[in-house]
Amino acid sequence: MIQITNLTKSFDGVPVLKTFNATFADGEFITLLGPSGCGKTTILRMIAGFEIPTTGEICLDGKLVSGGKTFLPPEKRDIGMVFQSYAVWPHMNVFDNVAYPLEIKHVPKDEIKTRVEEMLATVHLSQYADRLPSQLSGGQQQRIALARALVAKPKILLLDEPLSNLDAKLRETMRFEIRDITRERGIGVVYVTHDQTEAMAMSDRIFLINDGVIQQSGTPEEIYNNPVNPFVADFLGKVDFFPGTAAEGEITIPSWGVSIPSATERRGAVIVAIRPENIRLSKSNGGITGTITRMTYLGDVTDCRVQVGESIVRAVEDGDFRRHFKANDTVTVAVREFMVFPDDGSTQEQLQIRT
Amino acid sequence: MSAQSRGPLITKLTLALVFLLGIALIFQGAAALRENDSAGFSSEAAFEAIYELSKEVDADWNALLKPALSALSDEEAAALNDISAELLRENWSERGAVGTEAFEALDLENDAETVQKLLYISYAVGGPKLSASVKKAAETAGAEIAPALLKAVLDENAPVPEAVTKPVEKLEGTARQAMLMKLYYASLSGSSQLKTASVNEFKKGVRDKALQLDAFRMIASGELTPLRQFILSHARTVILCGVLLSLDALLLAFMMAADRVWRFDIKWLIILAILDFLLVFQLMPLIYTVVKAFFPDSHFSLETFRRLYSYKLNFDALRNTLLASFATMLLGTLFAFPLAWLVGRTNLYGRRFFRSLFVLTYMVPPYVGAMAWLRLLNPNVGTVNHWLRVLLHLSDAPGPLNVYSLPGLIWVLSTFYYPYAFITISRAMEKMDPSLEEASRASGASPLKTLVTVTLPLMTPSLISGALLVFVSAASCYGIPSIIGAPGRVHTVTTRIVEYVSLGQQGINDATGLSVFLLTIAVVILFLSDVVLARKQYITVSGKSVQPALVDLRSWRVPLTALVTLFAVIVILIPFATILFTSFKIDVGKSVLRAGNFTLGNWKTIFGRAETLHCLKNSLLYATITATVGIVIACTMSYLLQRTRIRGRKIPDFLITLGSGTPSVVIALSLIMTMKGNFGINIYNTAYIMIIAYLIKYLMMGMRTVVSAMSQIHVSLEESSQISGASWLRTMYRITGRLIFPSIAAGWFLIFIPSFYELSMTTLLYSSNTKTIGFQLYEYWTFTSQPMACAMAFGILMFVMLLNFLLGRLTKGAFSI
Repeated sequence: MIQITNLTKSFDGVPVLKTFNATFADGEFITLLGPSGCGKTTILRMIAGFEIPTTGEICLDGKLVSGGKTFLPPEKRDIGMVFQSYAVWPHMNVFDNVAYPLEIKHVPKDEIKTRVEEMLATVHLSQYADRLPSQLSGGQQQRIALARALVAKPKILLLDEPLSNLDAKLRETMRFEIRDITRERGIGVVYVTHDQTEAMAMSDRIFLINDGVIQQSGTPEEIYNNPVNPFVADFLGKVDFFPGTAAEGEITIPSWGVSIPSATERRGAVIVAIRPENIRLSKSNGGITGTITRMTYLGDVTDCRVQVGESIVRAVEDGDFRRHFKANDTVTVAVREFMVFPDDGSTQEQLQIRT
Repeated sequence: MSAQSRGPLITKLTLALVFLLGIALIFQGAAALRENDSAGFSSEAAFEAIYELSKEVDADWNALLKPALSALSDEEAAALNDISAELLRENWSERGAVGTEAFEALDLENDAETVQKLLYISYAVGGPKLSASVKKAAETAGAEIAPALLKAVLDENAPVPEAVTKPVEKLEGTARQAMLMKLYYASLSGSSQLKTASVNEFKKGVRDKALQLDAFRMIASGELTPLRQFILSHARTVILCGVLLSLDALLLAFMMAADRVWRFDIKWLIILAILDFLLVFQLMPLIYTVVKAFFPDSHFSLETFRRLYSYKLNFDALRNTLLASFATMLLGTLFAFPLAWLVGRTNLYGRRFFRSLFVLTYMVPPYVGAMAWLRLLNPNVGTVNHWLRVLLHLSDAPGPLNVYSLPGLIWVLSTFYYPYAFITISRAMEKMDPSLEEASRASGASPLKTLVTVTLPLMTPSLISGALLVFVSAASCYGIPSIIGAPGRVHTVTTRIVEYVSLGQQGINDATGLSVFLLTIAVVILFLSDVVLARKQYITVSGKSVQPALVDLRSWRVPLTALVTLFAVIVILIPFATILFTSFKIDVGKSVLRAGNFTLGNWKTIFGRAETLHCLKNSLLYATITATVGIVIACTMSYLLQRTRIRGRKIPDFLITLGSGTPSVVIALSLIMTMKGNFGINIYNTAYIMIIAYLIKYLMMGMRTVVSAMSQIHVSLEESSQISGASWLRTMYRITGRLIFPSIAAGWFLIFIPSFYELSMTTLLYSSNTKTIGFQLYEYWTFTSQPMACAMAFGILMFVMLLNFLLGRLTKGAFSI
């Protein structure tokens, strides 16, 4: 269990993390998600002990490791960690790399051998035990790093963008491997990434961070479906924003030139956020109409741009949508679901990702 | 919370205390200096002597005088006291009115101890003269005759012991009593009498009679405590320590305030230690040298420069240095760029071989090259001149080429310094992203067009940087001009500086004027290549690099390879062969192949001499110490630079860079001027001063190598070891140390090799006990026998090659020059 209380961090007086509070349960898969430079890696490194918090406390399993005058160095924290750059030692072979944490713990030779072999089997590297890391591919090197992080049976595993140097296909396989291995062993994971798909696919809970502040935390579904602000909505999945005015039972979107029915309790200036998959296009039959300006065939789906009034609206349709429609067709635009945020004039600013 | 706020408070208090301690030391030292001056004692050593004497007098009083005097009856004691006081008055009045006055100022009522001590020390320093034989007689007779002598002092009619009757015979009254008293002391104290060394030191340091009396009182009353004595006799050292201490405290306070972390960190203390070393041994001497040039008599004057440059020889030296350096820069770069391109980017035959061959010259002592070319281009007996005369059917007159000239100097400098540009440029070439050139080829440009429009412009920074490096190295070279210039009357600034220094104090002052000139060149160029151009352009050892696509030379491949081979033969093979052949000659003027002109005698003689072996031992020892201390500093600095965000870590880095850019002779000169005790440190004529000079000059070589290796190692390699549970020390040993070991070894050798054969600084700093192999070689060449010098040079050369080979082995081929 990791308990983080009022954690902050500044570098040379510049705050990179503003008050972070969280409790990660045993065996929970936590993802810290956010654009690069948002402070997520800093949190991870503070948990690991590579950075000293400016203020606040971190407890691992109820034991204070950072806070006040206490500071436990990384080597005393019993944590596993995988780095973005793999950080596999080039001068040791695969076996020695993985055996290193056990050697330090003075585990007997025989046991080291069995445990390392078992670990290598888990990550499918058994036949490479005698190779040097430079003779292996990026994916294999990353698996060495994973094996090394897990071999000492830590209760917590920290992963710092471990998949960002791998190609798309490998990344997808590794996602499930990491997920399965850690779940099987009941290891709590803190996973740092800027890739929302990774976060969605792996996490029990996501902490979405921007500019040193937690924007929202919750299960992937909660965050995706009920984002608390336009930034969250935009970062997780695709979304288009349209300014509007909310009144009893409806919202008027001036740029579309129409109103759409809404049960929102907000009044006045609002931002309407619509995900492309929640827009349905059909043969023109009244209602809101628009003109298809572009269609992009992506195999499984078709990405459409529709001119509605003065706005361009994105819609995702089936792969065979092209067979029935073509550019410049007039279509009826149905909005199945949308989100409403108050418009305090800061939306554009919020959406800008500060790095 | 209170505990948290107490930490910083303690830190601040400690810093303030250290600062105050430093200030206190400065004041104490300054006061001591003033006291030294006002006391008129001509040297601080006087205080040491006074202190020594006071200890000795005390010891003698307790061990000898006190027991002997306590055996007297009360009346006798009183009588002796009166007589002693009278003798003291008599003795002191010999020093004039001051003496009488000083005596009257004494309060001697019933103070037998003070009287006796004063008398004892007064006699030891200047009392009645005892001839050596009498003194010896009294000492030999010893305590047996002491009571009789004392009786004789008290009672004029008592018999004087036989052994010492002679000196007393003709004396009367107080003179007789004085003599007897002195004999009494001598017989009592025997061999433990005041050490003549301290007495002599005292007399040397305190010549003024009146001051001597003050000093006597100081001795008798024991008012000089050990601490006071130390401060008085080491006033300058105390001030230096005070300045450093308060400076360190201030710096530390500034750094902590900037970081808002009021916690002591060992890293800061290490930085400060390195910084202090550099401040004391590098910056202060350099600044002093510059200041001395403008303030020759402690006020501003350009007299030094006026005197220097009104002298034609110096003016010529200045012109020669500039001309030679500039020409060497052009010629050297002209060699280096095509070679670097051919070797680095084309499919030239044997390019790897040529690469290591050209870099090799970098490791050869400059004076060896000069010696070789001297043998080849000597106007009368030079081998090349000989063959040219035969080929061109010239008369037997000297020429046609003459090495003892400015062009000769330029030629030799170029053949020695082109590798500096070569290394810089070829490193940049190897590092260049090959896709930049490929893009040019893909756009339809020919290889030549690509070379001119893409490669060359991209290389410009390193080209300029390499050229500047050649310029500054040539300008500050001493070895080559000293061998070629001296006989040919082609003086350069460096040779002039060395000549001036040998002239003594006035010469040293004049040398500062020339040094300022050299230093200005060096600093300007350092600034140009360090700040204006990219910072990376320094020569370091080659690591591994990506293999860029090679340009196919096609039909040019053979002719260009032949051309490069010819260059290698002329610039490397022939000179080295000349050195080797000369070392076997009996008659230097004749060919070694001529019957009867071959001998191994030179080798046997030179390496059989105890002096050579002594010099060799010195060189090995100094170079080993320099390299070892240097690599420790280098590793520490690398860690601080690469792995910490500690404030102020760039300052030592800057100073180390400055040190390596400073011409050798200037470093040596500045150390001579400041390390003879006038700034509290006296290491003149010792091995320390040489080791420090080598360190300042060559530290950067080692540091850059380790820094670049460490920058290649991603921090996460260390962090993943830490997270595996390894301590910092273990991580350094198992991970970082192992990974950068080749660079550490390379760095060690890079400091060791030039320190081993160093000449320029050694020439100025050596003493008869600290001669090195490089200097001895120079002496042999100039004064004794050229073949022997050549044997020695080739020996050094082979040793350096051997080291290089070892380095390659040790680092599995990753490093070797």
